[in-house]
Amino acid sequence: MAQAFVLDLGRCIGCEACALACKTGNELPTGVSYIELIEQVRGSFPDLEGGFDNHRCLHCQDAACVAVCPTGALYKEDGLTRLNTPACSGCEYCVTSCPYDVPRMVDGASTKCDGCKATTDAGGGPWCVSTCPSKALEYGERSEMLRTARTRAEALRAHYPNAQVYGETQAGGLGVILVLPDDPEVLGLPRDPDPPTVANVWQGVVQPVSIGLIGATAVAAGVAGVIARRNHMAELRDIEEAEQLVGDGDSSEEA
Amino acid sequence: MSLVDLEISRRTFFTAGAATMAAAGLLPRAAHAATDGTPWYRQGAIETTFGVCDMCPWRCGIVVSSVNGEVRKIDGNPADPKSRGMLCARGQGGVSFMNDPDRLQAPMMRSGKRGEGSFEEVSWEQALDFIADKLLEIKERSGPEALAIFGHTSGEYWFTDHFSQAWGTPNAAKPSSSLCLSPREEAAQLTLGMGVGGHEPVDWDGLRCLTLIGSHIGEDTRNTVMQDFADMWGDGGKVIVVDPRFSSVATKADHWLPIKPGTDTALLLAWLNVLVTEELYDADYVRGWTTGFDRLAAHVADKSPAWAASITDLSEGQIIETARVMAERKPQSVIMPGRHVTWYGNDTQRLRATYLVNALLGAYGRRGGMYFNKAPYLEEYPHPPYAVAGSAGGCSAGAAETSDELPLGPSGKARADGARETFLRGATALQELIDPMITGDPYRIEGLIVYGTNLLNSVPNKPRTREALAALDLVVAIDVLPQEHVAWADVVLPESTYLERYDTLWSVSHKTPYIAMREPAVAPMYQTRPAWWMARELGLRVGLDAYFGWETIEEYLDRELRSVGSSLDEMRANDGIIIQNGKPYLEDYDGASPFHTPSEKIELFSQQLADAGFDPIPEYESTPEPPRGFYRLLYGRHPVHTFAKTQNTPALNERYPTNEVWINAQAAASEGIRDGQEVWLENQDGARSGPIAVKATERIRSDAVFMPHGFGQNAPGLTRAHGKGASDTELQTDYALDPISGGAGMRINFVKIVTEV
Repeated sequence: MAQAFVLDLGRCIGCEACALACKTGNELPTGVSYIELIEQVRGSFPDLEGGFDNHRCLHCQDAACVAVCPTGALYKEDGLTRLNTPACSGCEYCVTSCPYDVPRMVDGASTKCDGCKATTDAGGGPWCVSTCPSKALEYGERSEMLRTARTRAEALRAHYPNAQVYGETQAGGLGVILVLPDDPEVLGLPRDPDPPTVANVWQGVVQPVSIGLIGATAVAAGVAGVIARRNHMAELRDIEEAEQLVGDGDSSEEA
Repeated sequence: MSLVDLEISRRTFFTAGAATMAAAGLLPRAAHAATDGTPWYRQGAIETTFGVCDMCPWRCGIVVSSVNGEVRKIDGNPADPKSRGMLCARGQGGVSFMNDPDRLQAPMMRSGKRGEGSFEEVSWEQALDFIADKLLEIKERSGPEALAIFGHTSGEYWFTDHFSQAWGTPNAAKPSSSLCLSPREEAAQLTLGMGVGGHEPVDWDGLRCLTLIGSHIGEDTRNTVMQDFADMWGDGGKVIVVDPRFSSVATKADHWLPIKPGTDTALLLAWLNVLVTEELYDADYVRGWTTGFDRLAAHVADKSPAWAASITDLSEGQIIETARVMAERKPQSVIMPGRHVTWYGNDTQRLRATYLVNALLGAYGRRGGMYFNKAPYLEEYPHPPYAVAGSAGGCSAGAAETSDELPLGPSGKARADGARETFLRGATALQELIDPMITGDPYRIEGLIVYGTNLLNSVPNKPRTREALAALDLVVAIDVLPQEHVAWADVVLPESTYLERYDTLWSVSHKTPYIAMREPAVAPMYQTRPAWWMARELGLRVGLDAYFGWETIEEYLDRELRSVGSSLDEMRANDGIIIQNGKPYLEDYDGASPFHTPSEKIELFSQQLADAGFDPIPEYESTPEPPRGFYRLLYGRHPVHTFAKTQNTPALNERYPTNEVWINAQAAASEGIRDGQEVWLENQDGARSGPIAVKATERIRSDAVFMPHGFGQNAPGLTRAHGKGASDTELQTDYALDPISGGAGMRINFVKIVTEV
């Protein structure tokens, strides 16, 4: 069952409790952080408006990072984009392909929110959600979260007439459904992020970078293969088998 | 459901057994967890203990999770009325605070000159015997009043309240009084006959209009306030923010009033004028529960919005409109009493003006307005009468009630802080005890015990504080970290953090009075000891045995809990919290008055102030403006830091390692200063601090600059915080004494930007 977060940016007051809960709950080492609070104030004194962007992985259903990941370190599960760090080869394709500029390279490996896989598997909620004093975060079944997001956007119109839901359809639907106080463009978000088709990912990112590594065809095959067969990095090195899987064309586990 | 809920409701769930993990079907791999990838809660049985957070003075109830004897995670206690299961960034940083390798680890005695920071480790026996001998010498020579005790953070009770009163010094002081809340508390005593107390009694549930004057919800990240604010705002409540700066909470405001600093009282008087002249006040409430309305009405008749507009730099229309917005939602409409209200020296009158607005809106004791808080019933562990009454005030347990009587010490000496002479009333003024250490006027303070407090990063006029520290005969510093003033101590006592100790029961004045417990999650690290242990050991050495009649802290706590029919074990079984019934509303008093003023009413006109020679109704007094080329220095909080206490905490330091100075973008441009440039700040007296990066922003007026407090620290032992950013305290060489409450107004300092050293 696809899970999702709701992130109500109208309600967020930038207190950073989520960032520290994530940091401490996941015991992230120094230099690693999955959530960044970014001030977003527009206008000139004294005509100002704005708030905070809670910058984090939005868990795209059609995740460009998953599409380009040659090792299967990034994969989709329960609607969320997981990251198996030990499997990361450090190629940085995810960094350059992300439409929301999220993954960061730390010590040669991709880092980003994995939706608190370990914690939720253990029966808890994601750390950021359970601590948020502003109750700007929720987590649950995606269809339910979509409903919640719509209700929140409606409530937000008391203060922000243009409040709206973002992420219902973008990138195949986001696993972090945003409740925005204003139009996405105003907040620096693409109304329609570039669709991360295998073709343009391959042409734009994988091909130029990968030539000279293990061969363009092999990687192209690997891209599609991994999409269908997450987390099988050993098999990925078997080029022949990977090539067979190119034809499967199943681009989303959780569609 | 969070993991902590699970921990509490199903404590066996996370036992270490392989069977449990096998039953769960997996051993999941966290992205970045322990070296082998196993998350902390899968590395062994989780032991949960209850505590009270000490990462800020708000004191949320917490649940601490430890695995294999190590604290791994702190969460809000779902049963606690303040945290309700959530926790702010600083609270989350508690594990990191405890594990800071820069902590004080062993008792030390000075081996070089004061201030040099040369120490040698000694045993607890040596340290305590030395202090006891010195204390007895001082008492013999000059009386117990010659010892001052300063305290701040949650163990302060043991020294600043209990030990000081048993010993017999009226010179016990807390920065949370005269450097923070005194004007607010005295204004409330004078006007309402009650203190505001540690937890501002805004009745959020039902509130429809919130007005903030210089309160920074979201930057000041008091957990409960953020929760309540979000709910109130989320339900469509109106928010009016008066601030020279477009603060985090101003981004949520329906009305932001970028007022000229120092002119708030003019705005408040104009709001009163609108409420009176447009008859927007709650007439029945005013008739029933207030006195002096006619005199107030006459007083504000000429305080028109046009008059205030010319003073405040706001528009007449804004002032009128916001008064109407407030009044339309009365009595579910309040101006929230701020925190840290010592700004310009006339602060008690400003706070009184805010209470007068609330009174005209009929807010006190009304649902959705301001409730009456109540302290929980709890008997103290029996002890003989104290040698002197307490007057340290503070923001800890209970409302900070202060008596009109000035306590006298056993040798007949009253407080040395000038109370009754340089200021009228209220809690001991910490900053006013510094001069007597140097001048001996009215008598010499010879010894000082500093518990926490961070003396050189909280008290204005640092050069004077250093001079005093050099002049004292005895300086004892009790702390967790080697803060700057610790270098000036003769003896340094290392304290256990709040995660390693029992403490007094946390008894909280609240809508629902409650008691919370703190128990150790782990044994004290290094050679550290809790404050209760130190106070008792010292007490036993100086003849105060009768005040420390218990053998173990568990016995002490159990005895106190017996007075409410409970025990430590029972509290543990009940999520660490005991909740009692409050009397929050007027109707709970059966027609009797909850207002303990001489008139038993809200005193719009204060005869007490008139009798003492002060304005009985607040007047606007101007404050000096910045000289040409200077800006007014404003300061505040960053959401992940508390005071100057957390800048060295690894996890919090990583998040925000240094501060920046906000300068209006146009003002910066006209000075040729660019965003991000490193500059120094120099104040009106030539004091400098920096380098600090410029944040050129539209979010502040052009006549003031702003910086988060607590940076620019000089203590070399704070390896992460040392030398990072600029210190507002360094630049506060001057302050204005509030003649009513003794508060130290610190926003009267001005700085210029210096681009080259």
